[in-house]
Amino acid sequence: MVYIDGTEESITAAQYAICLASFSGAELIAHYVINTRAMDDLLKARIFLQDEQLEYEHDMEADAERYLNYVNELAVAKGVAITKKLSSGNVNKEISDSVKEMQIDLLVIGELSRIRSRRDEFYDESERAMRLVSCSVLIVKDPDRVWEMYESLA
Amino acid sequence: MALIDLVVEKIIKIPLESKDKPDVLRELVQKLKNAEEINDVDSALKAVQDREDKQSTGLTDGIAVPHAKTDAVSRLKLAIGIAPEGIDFDSLDKQPAKLIFLLLAPPGMSGPHVEALAEIAKLAQSKSLCKALCSAANAQEVVQLLKGE
Repeated sequence: MVYIDGTEESITAAQYAICLASFSGAELIAHYVINTRAMDDLLKARIFLQDEQLEYEHDMEADAERYLNYVNELAVAKGVAITKKLSSGNVNKEISDSVKEMQIDLLVIGELSRIRSRRDEFYDESERAMRLVSCSVLIVKDPDRVWEMYESLA
Repeated sequence: MALIDLVVEKIIKIPLESKDKPDVLRELVQKLKNAEEINDVDSALKAVQDREDKQSTGLTDGIAVPHAKTDAVSRLKLAIGIAPEGIDFDSLDKQPAKLIFLLLAPPGMSGPHVEALAEIAKLAQSKSLCKALCSAANAQEVVQLLKGE
């Protein structure tokens, strides 16, 4: 399963996961989680207005569809079948639950922040998921090299 | 792209020179332009001002989080301004804003945008950190504080 969050790093992770699936014949699932917990936090903190929250929720749903469709196109272009999964809520919990429910063997995620803050306030959902899931995790780096590998797939 | 990756000295203005809210917004957007993070100051500024016109993003305890979606950026952009004397930001508690986080995001990147704002919201809850940031002597110290060094 590859986690997609709309960042360039997650698209690179998807390209790598497509290569892995192509080489190994593994089943591939692309999972996007709409972070409704963060939106609730923003409304509570009064950073978001009610209508702003609804607008962003709509945007996030549209972005999720768009990114999942894009990853699907990347996979189809290389003859790899992919299952799209969209959920919403607490990102790291959604990923962790999916890993258990779908009996995922490997979670593929994009590169984490290179800067490690000691402050608890800074958190990275991918990093939290990495620590929480029960399966092995592969962190994908070097987008240029991954792109070359993806492009070289027949 | 995590929020902490955006925290670098060149996007921090300390102390802010402006004395009112519209000028602060312009000063922070200009800071991003000077740091070569954005090109189109006017579009970015208009997006932020349009959001402020709906309701001030001045929160409580001297924190303000002006933010907007704009085509003027292709990735998340953060500017931090510190005004030890405080600036009237029409905040919820009517207290002057001392610590201002300006966040710009392109349309189509709503997920990372929301997560970055949520991180700022968490930071704003730490009164001791906010107090330390407002007392920082320079941008380097702000970066060190945010990285927990």
